[in-house]
Amino acid sequence: MSKPIKTVVVVGGGIAGWLTAGRLAAKHKAKDPNGVKVILVESPNIPIIGVGEGTWPTMRSTLIALGISETDFIRECEVSFKQGAKFAKWVDGSEDDFYYHPLVLPQGFGKGDLAAHWLAKENGASSTSFSNDVCFQEAICELGLAPKTIRTPEYADVANYAYHLDSVKFVAFLQKHCSNALGVIHILDNVTDINTCENGDIAAVVTLEQGDIEGDLFVDCTGFSSLLLGKHYQVPFKSCSDVLFVDTALTVQVPYENEHDDIASHTISTGQEAGWIWDIGLQHRRGVGYAYSSKYSSEEEARAVLAKYVGDKFASLTIRKIPIVSGHREKFWQNNCVAVGLSAGFLEPLEASALVLVELSAQMISEQLPQSRDIMDIVAKRFNETFFYRWEKIIDFLKLHYILSKRTDNAFWTDNRHSKSIPESLKESMALWQYRAPTDIDFASNNEVFPAASYQYVLYGMGFKSDYSQTAYALDDIDFAQRHFAQNKKITEKAISTLPKNRELINKVIEFGFNRI
Amino acid sequence: MTNLVAVDNKSHLNTKVDLSKVEQHGADLQLVPVVLSEFINLAVQYPIVLTKNGNTGQFVFSVMLGFEPCENLFWQQEQWQGLYVPLQIRRQPFFIAPSNQQENDNRHNNELTVCLNTESPSLSNDTGEALFDVCGQESKYFHEVKELLSQLLIGEKENNLLLKSLTLMDLIQPMSLDITFVNQSTTKLTGLYTIDQDKLGSLSNEQLITLHEMGLLPSIYTMIASLGQVHALIDLKNKRLN
Repeated sequence: MSKPIKTVVVVGGGIAGWLTAGRLAAKHKAKDPNGVKVILVESPNIPIIGVGEGTWPTMRSTLIALGISETDFIRECEVSFKQGAKFAKWVDGSEDDFYYHPLVLPQGFGKGDLAAHWLAKENGASSTSFSNDVCFQEAICELGLAPKTIRTPEYADVANYAYHLDSVKFVAFLQKHCSNALGVIHILDNVTDINTCENGDIAAVVTLEQGDIEGDLFVDCTGFSSLLLGKHYQVPFKSCSDVLFVDTALTVQVPYENEHDDIASHTISTGQEAGWIWDIGLQHRRGVGYAYSSKYSSEEEARAVLAKYVGDKFASLTIRKIPIVSGHREKFWQNNCVAVGLSAGFLEPLEASALVLVELSAQMISEQLPQSRDIMDIVAKRFNETFFYRWEKIIDFLKLHYILSKRTDNAFWTDNRHSKSIPESLKESMALWQYRAPTDIDFASNNEVFPAASYQYVLYGMGFKSDYSQTAYALDDIDFAQRHFAQNKKITEKAISTLPKNRELINKVIEFGFNRI
Repeated sequence: MTNLVAVDNKSHLNTKVDLSKVEQHGADLQLVPVVLSEFINLAVQYPIVLTKNGNTGQFVFSVMLGFEPCENLFWQQEQWQGLYVPLQIRRQPFFIAPSNQQENDNRHNNELTVCLNTESPSLSNDTGEALFDVCGQESKYFHEVKELLSQLLIGEKENNLLLKSLTLMDLIQPMSLDITFVNQSTTKLTGLYTIDQDKLGSLSNEQLITLHEMGLLPSIYTMIASLGQVHALIDLKNKRLN
């Protein structure tokens, strides 16, 4: 056997660094003398970016894998519940223009083609909202209700949910847990140089105070600077700015009027002249940001758009400007170095893909951590294939939101619909969906990120029509449709009558906590 | 309806409680909270389970009296047909509440007062047990009521002790009941919890000694044994359906 993998060095102490170090330490028993040693080196001078404040439901399994109590997490990271996203003013920009991308799958999904019946407005489809007819989550989000009750065990749900969190507090929380409970060795020092072996592997990172820190695998979580994968290995960056035009974000933290104000239990994403504004409700404040394209809007114009959205309070708030260089590295794992987080790539936060990619990367690295150096290249090849596929699919899905818009108020929107800006893979799918709804057969890889249901919610939420006239027999299963539309109405009524307000539940979690069972 | 007022020998000198009507308070309760000290008595007839308080989500020890909301199968012919009636029922119509602190006296901060639910159907001016004698001295009956209330107060503390140990040692598990009654109607009961016997069986010696020293083992085994009473409860339901 060649050199065994006994020490993993994570460079960077943001969410990506701690989640990766934590998953490795939990799975490979870093606390045990026979386990894998996990070291996290972090510069004391570099602030974290902290753009990721919305998660996917996957964060629940990530936290479980780290051995974290949901109650502690909610209490310490200003967490609120997120049940998907409400997209306002994306179709035509009018005041009543909105649709939902909820986290609960459509009724009977995978058992029949409910979308076909909904499109035909037959057999019990009653409203103009696809998501409202096939899923109960839009209704509870519109009422500001939580996805569970105080009696629901921790991490279990009534309606599928993710989180909104304060990323700075989340980093501090992860640091404490990973260091104290999981045995991650935390070193605060500046990395000044990299020592390499003959085969090009990294032998050690050189630090200012503590000298060489040697390791068998290095994880690059250095954010935009991409110190190891980008700067050292010079792995090229694959831009997708020709597909996704947003290149800048202006962000502000907006306090609530008073501490009892409702907290929205979904991300609100509102289309604007040259991009869109996110609005995320935490316990103590909202996080609001305008993601826009500097080609279609000056910073001054962008500030005015954000000011109008936020209202009177805007003048007193601190504005942060964050560059969004859309794209990803051509490879993520080179030699004995793998990049996780912003060092691997970044996209506009339209569907909260940043943290989920970190989680998926951390999961794959910890589950497939090679036992020895001689098999690492195989794992690296698989990792690169998997994540290249995932990045491309996410880019397709984000672009889908833009190509279905009918907005004409700014060239930002009309240019987004130019054929040359649309990836071939998305064009192919759209061609098929002219005649049928997206289903699992369109997403057959083991590495899918967004399920077919997500595509249905966006397509039909934005008014797209699949033309079933050639296959009218798809509507023959009338009983199936009637049953599921009726079932959805029943579940919606029950959910509305039993679920508490989002803020009310959060207050109860703070006071009493969830039970584990 | 509940309207609580503090009991005193002026306003309540002539107040009487009709004992035959006290148990009416439990007529439509499917679940009644109980305390450790009465487990042995309860287990003779009722399944003792854990449920979650709807407001706090925290566990509560309860006896199960029926299979649907508002169903008490032990309430028949306007009477509680059970060998033992839980303290929570017998203490009616009395409650304990923190004293009013009108006087700024710190010594009174932790004091408790016995209160009376003026809306209770068991109250009367003519028939039943008086709270005070003509001189305003507490009657033997009222004295017994206070004993019941203090048993409940102490019970609360013992309950918390058991609950803490059960949670810490991971001994609680959800229990799901699928029942078909004699008329072929079915019910699925959720939201009930009980002792996880597999986990109990695999506790370390150290953990077992801790439970033993805390005096909690009898209650744990009584809870397990009481689950057999679910069959007796089904039997009662079947008789009602027939």
